[in-house]
Amino acid sequence: MPATDYQGSFLGRISIRRNQVMSMEGNHEQELEDLELFQKHVADRFAELAPPSPSQPSDDIPSDPILSIAWIRKLLDVFLCCDAEFKAILIMGRDPSQISKPPLDRLIPEMLDRDVKALDICNAITNGIEAVRHYQKLAEIAVSALEQRPFGDGQVKRARKALTSLITAMACEDKDGANYTRTWSFGRRGAAAAGNNKSTGQLRSLSWSVSKNWSAAKQIHAMSANLVAPRGTEASGLALPVYIMSTILLFVMWTMVATIPCQERSGLATHFPVPKQLVWAQSIIGLHEKIAEEWKKKEKKGSAGLLEEMQKLDKLGQSLIEFTDSFQFPAEDERAEEVSAHLAELGETCRRMEEGLVPLQVQIREVFHRIVRSRAEFLDVLDLNGKSSALAM
Amino acid sequence: MAGYQSVNPNHEGDQHLIAAAHHILKLLGAIRNLSDDTRKLLADLDIHLSIMTGNTINNGGEAIEVEKRLKCAERMVLRWQANQSMIWDTGPGEVSEFLGAIDEVQTLIDSFSGVSVNENGRVRELLYRANNIVQMAMLRLQEELIHILVHHKLYFEPEYVSFHSCRADVIYDESFVSLEDESVEASQRVSNTGSVSGEYIVDLIHPQVVPDLKAIANAMIAANYDQEFCAAFIGARQDALNEYFFVILELEKFSIDDVLKMKWSTLSSEIKKWNWAMKIIIRVYLTSEKQLCNKILGRFDTVCSLCFVEIAKATFLCLLNFGEAVAMGSTQPEKLFCLLDMYEVLDDLLLEIDSLLFEEAGSYIRIEFHELLRKLGHSARQAFQELQKAIAADSSMKPLPRGGIHPLTRYVMNYIKTLTIYDDTLNLLFEDQNMEDTHSIVESETEQDISPITFCPLACHLRSITSALECSLVVKSRLYREDSLRHIFLMNNIHYVVQKIKGSDLRIFFGDEWIRKHIGKFQQHATSYQRATWCSVLSFLRDDGHCSNSVLKTSYKERCREFTNAFEDVYKIQIQWCITDPQLKEDLRISTSLKVIHAYRTFIGRNRISDKHIKYTVDDLEKLLLDFFEGTWRTLRNSRRR
Repeated sequence: MPATDYQGSFLGRISIRRNQVMSMEGNHEQELEDLELFQKHVADRFAELAPPSPSQPSDDIPSDPILSIAWIRKLLDVFLCCDAEFKAILIMGRDPSQISKPPLDRLIPEMLDRDVKALDICNAITNGIEAVRHYQKLAEIAVSALEQRPFGDGQVKRARKALTSLITAMACEDKDGANYTRTWSFGRRGAAAAGNNKSTGQLRSLSWSVSKNWSAAKQIHAMSANLVAPRGTEASGLALPVYIMSTILLFVMWTMVATIPCQERSGLATHFPVPKQLVWAQSIIGLHEKIAEEWKKKEKKGSAGLLEEMQKLDKLGQSLIEFTDSFQFPAEDERAEEVSAHLAELGETCRRMEEGLVPLQVQIREVFHRIVRSRAEFLDVLDLNGKSSALAM
Repeated sequence: MAGYQSVNPNHEGDQHLIAAAHHILKLLGAIRNLSDDTRKLLADLDIHLSIMTGNTINNGGEAIEVEKRLKCAERMVLRWQANQSMIWDTGPGEVSEFLGAIDEVQTLIDSFSGVSVNENGRVRELLYRANNIVQMAMLRLQEELIHILVHHKLYFEPEYVSFHSCRADVIYDESFVSLEDESVEASQRVSNTGSVSGEYIVDLIHPQVVPDLKAIANAMIAANYDQEFCAAFIGARQDALNEYFFVILELEKFSIDDVLKMKWSTLSSEIKKWNWAMKIIIRVYLTSEKQLCNKILGRFDTVCSLCFVEIAKATFLCLLNFGEAVAMGSTQPEKLFCLLDMYEVLDDLLLEIDSLLFEEAGSYIRIEFHELLRKLGHSARQAFQELQKAIAADSSMKPLPRGGIHPLTRYVMNYIKTLTIYDDTLNLLFEDQNMEDTHSIVESETEQDISPITFCPLACHLRSITSALECSLVVKSRLYREDSLRHIFLMNNIHYVVQKIKGSDLRIFFGDEWIRKHIGKFQQHATSYQRATWCSVLSFLRDDGHCSNSVLKTSYKERCREFTNAFEDVYKIQIQWCITDPQLKEDLRISTSLKVIHAYRTFIGRNRISDKHIKYTVDDLEKLLLDFFEGTWRTLRNSRRR
């Protein structure tokens, strides 16, 4: 679902109405209506992301499983849509001086600060996707080896090598997020040759890091630290959309950090600082609870990342390793049949990764640039206001 | 090879044909002086024919032949398996033997491809065995590959390629307020090295081993182990690049948060490093890396471009992100030079980036670099506009003591003087932008022989900057209580502006007409000063007294005393005032002296005032006038003791 589909409809409406609002001095009602509409849209969009409840089976096409690549892409689309609507409400046609009045004079700089942290997270995730692509390639080796008919010792060994590398790489990443290494050096001599320089591994992880000592978990923490729901009269004013958008940003970034390998995730908070009674936030809270639960399980079990495709690789990889371990030449046909189902599933997962990962990377870049642009737009508005009051020198 | 399948050996005619071929092969094989290659070729063909007929391999001599050859290859692979030394280190003979064995097994596997293995248990068994040998051999090749890549990598010292000739660094980290003239010396633009990317290719791997790497690539890709090849190749080359980036160039990675919070001094030095690293890494390292990939994988287009992009991706993104972060940051005027440097560096490298990331795999990174260039240009324009805003916003409640040159004037003039070395880039940037707010600045279209530079976008912007400065100076001058000092201040500052322009490349941007006009302006202020200060003082010495009627009645002695007092008052104040330019000071003193001394001498001479009524002789007065505008606190008594 392309993000532009949404924009055409409501952005146009809002801007037209906004102009009317400006002509009619201080039409507060209109503003309230816009805010309400925004909340409704947010609620609707996130509701669409929620997994269908088992009690009411939907008869439409099966939706993408939660935390799959396709699902994350939808999540990012939702983010882009919400951001566009948010800016339409807050900036378009509005007298800039309103933004410099309390409480926005404090809330907007805080939001811009969160934006910067989100940008670094986007970069960390882009790097993490590279790791996932590496896993995909290892799985593909196994698939192509085992798909050969008939398969004998040679293919089985080839597949096992790739699968072991895959499982080790995923476990390694998981255990030590800051140090995820691409195990490209197979075999003892190669490993010895590559490992003779002790710093090589460090350099390798550094090249895929955001910066030294950067931690995704800390960034998420910093993003949520000063996020407080507006109360009293503020709750119906412009503080509300700022809060909503910041919450969405936090949720999207948190979800990506939990799902895709990235630098230093240990200690990632599972608490979501959003009051449960907020209507627009219901779906987000629901999704958050679900993902947090998965995250806790993952931390306990020490399994691979939450990305649905990675979990598949992990599960299928393990089972195929078992198969290759017990493989005796010549292969019993039954056994081979048993494996072929797993193999087909692994192949299908690889295909989905092949189709989805690069577009996801490109989309994250799009989110990155959108945040940069939004931030610049707000800075421009603040700048306009600043000029009249503060003197730089 | 798939063609074998179409042959149905059950057809009688085909059977005959194959039998005939067999016969021919046997005859050919009997020839004595065949080369080894030819003999092997014949043997291969023989096996193919056997497999095609299917049944013969079960009992015929060919099956034994196939098995023999497999066993031979297997033995070799297993022997190396047990051996700790590397094949490629051992010698070319061993290498070609090993590669030959792989080739042989591969040929056998290929020749089986038309045979239904289910029907033929014997073939199946051989195939299993062959695949197993290939697997072991490939593992070995991968190890050899990594070994060679690790042990034969080469680095070049960054000094090897000197880019510093391109432009001497423009240092501009002064704060807005205090600035000495000397601290900003506009550096000269040295003609840009006309860079053809071919000049900068270096060896990143010892050229001697490139054919070895190529051979390994060919063997692995032929056996469909291209994924394993890529993983090892990309991994090893990434490590090499990382080592170069982090260890040899000593570069660091920064988060966007880091960059935005960086102190200006740190940021400006990181920007310089970025400029330097961009040139070395993109122009030299990655261009050479691409060349290396081409040499090794030239035959396999897709694999080749995939490998290169994967090797270079993290580094490209790192360089890109730093640029993004800088372009996102605040745009204070000091940053303009850094932004322009980055803009020029990237602009210069864009063609190379385009050719490095030509293929689909890297296209999004390529596009991002183009975007970055646009953003840097935008930021640079903003920083330029910030200067104008900052000039307008520069206001203080206190006048600058002594009427000297305001720090703002110095700052702005040094700033725009430095700008002229970026004239091409700035003109380009301003052309993109609509220039509605600069039209008012263009003057003097009537003048003949004006350089076209005088009307280029940059020139217009520069004149708008100085006119903003003039406005600001006029506002500042109103803070002075004395009219005279107000004129001294404006004279000083406008003179400074004119001098800066006349004495630098700015001259052609402003044009002679502008300069003439502004010389006129500060001269006007000099005249106004004299009128404001000396008119009333000299009125005591006037005979006709149309300055003041009351003085007519007073005696000459009294008028002389009053003149002396007035002069002393002026003296006490104006020796504190300041004219920094010696020539300007001299000129003003001379013209003042001419006026005052002339009037005084005439007055004394004509009225024959005796010496005892005169406090200062003409000579005294002349000497005292020399103390004016020195910016000192000397008292009159001290000066008399000299």
